[in-house]
Amino acid sequence: MSASQLSLSGRMSGVIERWNALPIATRFFGLLVAAATIPFLTSNDYVIRIAGNVCLFAALAVALNVVVGYAGLLDLGFIAFYGIGAYLYAILSSDQFGIHWPSWLTLPFIALLGVVFGLLLGSPSLRLLGDYLAIVTLGFGLVFAQLALTLDRVELPWQEGVVINVTGGTNGIVKLDPLSLFGFQLSNVTHYFYALLIWLGIVLIIVHHLNQSRMGRAWRSMGEDALAAETMGMPTRRLKLLAFSCGAAIAGVTGAIFAAWQQSVFPQNFSTDVLITLYAMMVLGGISNLGGAALGAVVLSVVPELLRSPELARAIFYATLTLGLLLFSKPRRNGPIILISVIILGFLLRWIVQAAAPDLLTPPTIKVAAESISSAFDRASQQFGILVQGWILFLKDPLLPGNIAFVILIPALLGLSRMKAGVLKLILTIPAIYLLIFVWETRFAAEPAVTRLLLVGGLLVVLMIFRPNGLLGKRKIEIV
Amino acid sequence: MALLEFTKISKHFGGLQVIKDFTFEVNQGEIVSIIGPNGAGKTTVFNLITGIYTPDEGDIRFEGKSLLGLEPHQICQRGIARTFQLLRLFLNMSVRENVMSAAYPRTHSNLAQIIFRTPGFRKEEDRIRTLAEEKLGFFGNRLNGTFDQPVYSLPYANRRQVEMARAMATEPKILLLDEPAAGMNPNETQEITQLIGELRARGGYTILVIEHDMQVVEGISDRVIALDYGEKIAEGTYHDVATNERVIEAYLGRQHATRAK
Repeated sequence: MSASQLSLSGRMSGVIERWNALPIATRFFGLLVAAATIPFLTSNDYVIRIAGNVCLFAALAVALNVVVGYAGLLDLGFIAFYGIGAYLYAILSSDQFGIHWPSWLTLPFIALLGVVFGLLLGSPSLRLLGDYLAIVTLGFGLVFAQLALTLDRVELPWQEGVVINVTGGTNGIVKLDPLSLFGFQLSNVTHYFYALLIWLGIVLIIVHHLNQSRMGRAWRSMGEDALAAETMGMPTRRLKLLAFSCGAAIAGVTGAIFAAWQQSVFPQNFSTDVLITLYAMMVLGGISNLGGAALGAVVLSVVPELLRSPELARAIFYATLTLGLLLFSKPRRNGPIILISVIILGFLLRWIVQAAAPDLLTPPTIKVAAESISSAFDRASQQFGILVQGWILFLKDPLLPGNIAFVILIPALLGLSRMKAGVLKLILTIPAIYLLIFVWETRFAAEPAVTRLLLVGGLLVVLMIFRPNGLLGKRKIEIV
Repeated sequence: MALLEFTKISKHFGGLQVIKDFTFEVNQGEIVSIIGPNGAGKTTVFNLITGIYTPDEGDIRFEGKSLLGLEPHQICQRGIARTFQLLRLFLNMSVRENVMSAAYPRTHSNLAQIIFRTPGFRKEEDRIRTLAEEKLGFFGNRLNGTFDQPVYSLPYANRRQVEMARAMATEPKILLLDEPAAGMNPNETQEITQLIGELRARGGYTILVIEHDMQVVEGISDRVIALDYGEKIAEGTYHDVATNERVIEAYLGRQHATRAK
């Protein structure tokens, strides 16, 4: 078993090596073309919508990377630029004020205003670093959110009794004009997906080119050691403003495309949650790595969607668990040993309970409804679900035991992770894994809507433990 | 007229007087060493010259023009570059990029040229790439083959040389070296002594250096300035300063000074 595994992982790393050896332009256009085929592979609007979302967030994460990853400025007001772009588009292309600018004018105008707002936030923050900058920029973001909420009743001081509705408050601005570029009007999900994909491509090229130039080197120098950069002749203040402005311009245009796609803007589209998601994407992918930021966007946009379906969530859970055990156990042979022992333990426990107190158990809850089964995968995953629920202790009243098991599980896992490798650890891992599966089946699988984000969080924690620099990150922090 | 004139400078932090009425100058083509016990204010002198601190009193002139009120990057652009005592390299950037980054003030491509990769931008990029390799090449074999490695993967002695190459890439007229031999073994110290001589001979730099290692100071200096508690206590050739009573006293204490007499 281990021999075949080795050759498998060997082949994998061979593929990765060959991929990395390709010129960056080839890799870039290869991925872009591959992504462009998505609408040909599926006619499901939901899938294409998620793909569009991935492009949107990837563009934002890449832009955020310029400010945070390269220039080292902890900017928590970034989301405001995205929001400003979206609201500007809404105001300039709707009946809100009866303004209907053409898209070819709106988008560059928003990019320009993005630069202006970047300077506006940047100038008072020039002397601030680290935590202080974070607080000021966070304030900027909150001010934007408040203004979006409250600028629906603006009284003009020079004209009494006239109230102007700028942002529409909680109702937002709706019925926006669609984007129309080069005589082509974007009218459906697929169109917007391509628009966003092309925009992501442009953003990646711009940022990559900037990175491989005097500007990118100066930004990264500043991010590493601002004093040294300044002493080596780099005007750090101007560079900071420039970084803020670049990020803001890209975020603004992305916001405009988002607004046009959604055909509406609401304050909650630009909440702190979105900001945190963006940061998570960037950190997960690996700070100051462009491919990483994009990959982070893919993972954090796609995984929560996959977890919406209980069957898929179950498949992901068991696949991750099995692969994790097989690939990361040290020594390698421990993986299969644990796996087989857990299966035996399950049957053993079930046999005991069946004999002692059969009333406690209940048949599997998954019902095979013939008409709802659409694909081979669904059928297989349902079969698998029934199998698992027939194997684990599936109780009639799972709530309390599930909760208790959950509470035991966390210290058990923490304790295990602190133990020295050895036979004892191996033996204790077996019931811990069993407990994990028990908690999953009794608590999580039952309520996917509630536990979805919890699972995403868990996944993030695990990924960051295995790859503390992010999936593609190579950064190293040295304390001198 | 001297290249660098440091005239009657005083600087205090709170109640602590770090530099007191300190005057010295460095002439074109000279190698001048500043020595002094720990805390004498040597690094503060560098921080004052490079604009990290502003003096309370006095004037600093470079090529006859005052440096007061300029920001550090402007001072660097005037032709003053330094290294740091504890090394301040951009650790996650490659050796080559570290050196290329310092060519920033000598390059002029704007955003549009960069984004569209115009021929002008490419030419400039090639130019500073060659410049960086040329400056790194100054250090001979030590750095060969490491140009594309991140700096954090380099041993200490090599990092020092990268930092020197970075300072050289700003194309300065004067190099300020802050303890270039600190933390080096005898071989490496020997090497650095030779190197500083070559920096002047082949590179044509004027050099102001802070150093503790008296062998290095002896090997390189045209002139030595001794500093204690922020005041100049001696100035002259290495021999003059090394035998100066106040200098020995500052380094070894009064007892030794009298005994040496």
